Amino acid sequence: MKRILLAVFGILALAFATLTPAFAQSKGTVYYMVPTLLDEFQTGSVTALELFLKQVGYEIKTLNADNKTDAQQSQMNDVIALKPKAIILAAVDFNALKPSIEAARAAGIPVVEFDRQITSTPSDFTSVAGTVEIGHIAADQAEKLLKAKNGSVKGKVLQVLGDPGDPYTLDIQKGFEEKMKAFPDVKIISLPAMQWEASNAGTIVADQMLANPDIDLIFSHAAHLSVAAVASLEAAGKKPGDVMLMSSNGAPVGLDLIRKGWLNVEVEQPLYAQAAAVAMFMDKVANKQEIKPGDYDVLGLKSTVTKEAWGPNIKIPGAAITKENVDNPAFWGNQKAPTDTVKPVE
Amino acid sequence: MNPRTRQALEFVLDNLVWFMLVFVLVVFSIFIPNYFQLGIFANIIEASSVLGVMSIGLALVIIAGHMDLSVESVAALSAMAVGILFCSSGIGLGIQLHPEWLMVPVSLLLALAVGGLIGAFNGFLVVKVKMSAFIITLASYIWVRGLVLVISGGRSAQDLAPAIRWFGIQRLIGLPLTAWIAIACFVVFSLIMAKTPFGRHLVMIGGNETATFRAGIRVNRNLIIAFVLAGAIAGLAGWLLAIRTSGATANLGVGLLFNAFAAVVIGGVSLKGGVGTLPGVYAGVLLLSAINTAINLMGLPANFTQVIHGLLVLAAVLLDAFKQTIRQRLA
Repeated sequence: MKRILLAVFGILALAFATLTPAFAQSKGTVYYMVPTLLDEFQTGSVTALELFLKQVGYEIKTLNADNKTDAQQSQMNDVIALKPKAIILAAVDFNALKPSIEAARAAGIPVVEFDRQITSTPSDFTSVAGTVEIGHIAADQAEKLLKAKNGSVKGKVLQVLGDPGDPYTLDIQKGFEEKMKAFPDVKIISLPAMQWEASNAGTIVADQMLANPDIDLIFSHAAHLSVAAVASLEAAGKKPGDVMLMSSNGAPVGLDLIRKGWLNVEVEQPLYAQAAAVAMFMDKVANKQEIKPGDYDVLGLKSTVTKEAWGPNIKIPGAAITKENVDNPAFWGNQKAPTDTVKPVE
Repeated sequence: MNPRTRQALEFVLDNLVWFMLVFVLVVFSIFIPNYFQLGIFANIIEASSVLGVMSIGLALVIIAGHMDLSVESVAALSAMAVGILFCSSGIGLGIQLHPEWLMVPVSLLLALAVGGLIGAFNGFLVVKVKMSAFIITLASYIWVRGLVLVISGGRSAQDLAPAIRWFGIQRLIGLPLTAWIAIACFVVFSLIMAKTPFGRHLVMIGGNETATFRAGIRVNRNLIIAFVLAGAIAGLAGWLLAIRTSGATANLGVGLLFNAFAAVVIGGVSLKGGVGTLPGVYAGVLLLSAINTAINLMGLPANFTQVIHGLLVLAAVLLDAFKQTIRQRLA
């Protein structure tokens, strides 16, 4: 028994040693608190952050909160105790994580907000595409599509939200609806796909196409919801182009749907640029140096750093992907990681 | 109370969930614009196909006096396995078999095998190692979903092979074939439960495991079969889920477990085991689907839908409890 125990401990010690060899050479460890891994954007964000932070000399470890606020709070507490160089937080819940951010900063650990902006408390850096802005871009595209179809901006739009408990989808909804208010002849029907689950979106589309057969445009808040929407349209005998479709986040499946003619527009979240911006400013964040406002080039995208009440904030423009530009390798949905190496901002 | 009235009351109580379903459909049809149309009723049946099939397996295990919390994750894993092999976009490998129709039995067998294997694993630990079904299947609920994440890397498989997807598009008497598969499953398993020794033994085991064992019935074997069946049926639900959404995402089917439990309970299956019929479960599934459709058509603010859904389910369960009270008074 003693031998078995010794052997087990020996193997564990060896495994631990082989898993942590590079700490000494790196500038330090950064923790990335990812809200969930059941979504392609989040999975992609892990890969992108790993790629770019490695280029600027940091080790990165990722903790998945499985979309649970309490789990993310516990993870934050644990990571604070580990004293990393910085924490990159994509918050499950904007308000609930505020105390954890404050606790980390009080412990001298800089906090970077990634993808999900928290404005209620200061942080050391924020890199976002702007979810409200994604809604605005989607509204611009809806305006164009409806005008092209109906001669003026009028018609019926089915908006398939994500989970109503997720601020990400609520922000997109806010941006979309506040801009669409300018067009009173457009009726928007908004329904949530609970837990971002695809078959829920499929059911919504199937029901609504019967209740409101005159729907002109379906706007889903994620590409994987559009896939289920297409499946329902197909089952109802529709062909590509019969109903206009849009979605947001720019996932690979969305780009495939554009190529097949089902999806008219995908509003991209510039995943690579968002991650690259974090890497570019990581030295300044980790060393608590000032980040100067101004325009920066992030992987070829003109991005602006502003000094906000909650700290320096970089906003990277999202883009509308259509049939014309769908093959552009800069879109993360094409899954061609940028070859340009990120350099720290001096 | 005269015998005829009593008989009528017994009939109503036995089929209360069906009456509830009819009542709800009538109320929704009157008050919700666009609800009353054949297409919507077809949608209700179609949308309930995955949940319905999953509820069959869950009901079998609950009737036998145990529990299987893993069915949702098992369905997701089966869907992902089918998706990875037979989808052509995303992480799908786009495997083609010739002739094309071969993909249907192969994908179906794969889904059933994945589910059956996990069911056998659960059954072995519960029956042979004598561990709590709640704990074992809860663990499976977690690790199997984790496995979905591992094999998919969080990415999705899309564009299911047309030969398999055919079941989601083709219609027979206005219903997609997936809905007919669910209906056929209910018919077959209802007959198995009502007419075969295996079905009757499961009810007996759920009622009193020790007495059933002493009566010479092979309790362990029947229980393991019930777990394997629950897993395999969940695999079938996953196959249907993949067809319905033309692929698989890592979060596919999230939340189905709770709906399946609700359907089983509303359908009159006792969580204590030994009581319940599958036609009742199907009515429970249709009732939930009818409520979901109503919520979809009412266009309520997103924040309220879950509350309303929960309250309607609660109302259905309270009505079922009321039924039990009346039944006790009749006895």
